[in-house]
Amino acid sequence: MKSFSFAVLLFAFIAVGCAHAPQVASSPASPAAYPQPQPIIVASTSDEVPPKPPEAAVKSPETPVNSEKGTVNNDSNIDYTEEGKEEQAPTIADPIEPFNRAMFEFNDKLYFWLLKPVAQGYKAVVPEEARVSVKNFFSNLGFPVRFVSCLLQADFSGAATEVGRFTVNTVWGIGGLMDPASSKDLNLQKQDVDLGQTLGVWGVGQGFYIVWPLAGPSSVRDSVVIAGEYFLYPPSYMSEIAPWYVGPIVRSYEEVNRTSLRIGDYEALKEAAIDPYVSLRDAYVQYRWKKIRMKKGAQIDELAPSGMRMER
Amino acid sequence: MKRLFVGVSILLLLLISLPVYAGTPLETVKVNADQVLDVLRDPKLKAPSAKEMKKDKLRAIYVNMFDEVELSRRSLGMNWNKLNAAQRQEFVKLFEQVLEKAYADRILSYTNEKIEFTKESMTSGNMAEVRTKVVTASKEIPIFYRVILKDGAWKVYDVSIENVSLVQNYRTQFNDILAKNTPEQLLEILRKKVKAQ
Repeated sequence: MKSFSFAVLLFAFIAVGCAHAPQVASSPASPAAYPQPQPIIVASTSDEVPPKPPEAAVKSPETPVNSEKGTVNNDSNIDYTEEGKEEQAPTIADPIEPFNRAMFEFNDKLYFWLLKPVAQGYKAVVPEEARVSVKNFFSNLGFPVRFVSCLLQADFSGAATEVGRFTVNTVWGIGGLMDPASSKDLNLQKQDVDLGQTLGVWGVGQGFYIVWPLAGPSSVRDSVVIAGEYFLYPPSYMSEIAPWYVGPIVRSYEEVNRTSLRIGDYEALKEAAIDPYVSLRDAYVQYRWKKIRMKKGAQIDELAPSGMRMER
Repeated sequence: MKRLFVGVSILLLLLISLPVYAGTPLETVKVNADQVLDVLRDPKLKAPSAKEMKKDKLRAIYVNMFDEVELSRRSLGMNWNKLNAAQRQEFVKLFEQVLEKAYADRILSYTNEKIEFTKESMTSGNMAEVRTKVVTASKEIPIFYRVILKDGAWKVYDVSIENVSLVQNYRTQFNDILAKNTPEQLLEILRKKVKAQ
């Protein structure tokens, strides 16, 4: 009898312990679940903001009973605390911000006044399947950049995948208009690589932020490789066989086609932003940072013999 | 007697685990996403005049799916602590309106997109990430939801679209604004934005 009740109690104890152990272990990472022993803001503002102490004092006792609309509960009294485990947020220096803002405005006008109307007209005439094919065609021509990037990153399986893709799509995909390589059977997915990312994987820092006219957001690191990307992109050699103006026309067409498939994306970003320039800059930095990190992470995971090298 | 004890211990086990088990994060996100798709595909709401009704339904799903306070707190980061209680409440509401205005129409414009749920992983004891992919004819957009377990339910506190975290994007903007402005001025900027939209 005694042993039974002891067993039940022990069981209950272990169960409770198990159920709560992860939360206790992660308490620094969950400020909401475990309010940190810091002064809540209601108390601290009353002496920080002299003009409004009576209001703050009146507000504080009634905040828990928040009747209006019920959307904001007393949870909002909890202060924000830095989480040790949170990924460090990538940021970028912006010493030439006035220039960048001017270029941002220029690109913005270019988009709304020229690129978007043209892309909309094009979209109205050309069916989506055809535009996707055109996108595939240009994407297929991006093979040399991706192949070289994979090699430089010592990602040989990625390089092999790219060779396979290029062969299959060029031969069976009618010169790259279709993408049979990424079908379920072959499963040769496009490698999400470029030269700027390659530098990043090798540990080159991003430098500061640059907004190029036409090309848009970039960094010092991603600008260094512009020449390399140019020489590895077949349409750049159009001038060898055709008049000089054919190259820019092809590039413009590629851009119009790409835009026609993404109308609304930039508008959404701008609409959601409080400061569109900062929002776009941050989106660029986050996007590039994750792209490099993913590649680094993949390599480390491959090399690591069961979690030996976990530090990044 | 023995049977009673077995019964009691099973009951105890159930009682203890009840508040901890809240469905998996993936299930929670999926249920909400399916509700959104139901609204979008509801033939009764096809008419353009039903747009406001659709928005109302989306808002109801949003309130249930997201933890607005957590989202606001993380978007402000350390700046959250500079706001007093009243300012925080106003901020949460304004921020919600900004997001709604920006994304409601965008979501309503989707029709034949598919959502694939690829993966869920725990990021800490009470937080997880649910990876999804929105597949359209021309592209695949990876959308990741970060969820936190609160009061027995998983709530979304951040969304990453194509690897760009919403919370981090806003935090950079708010940091930039609050480096030169007071919280009151930030609220004024948000009020104007909500009005202008």
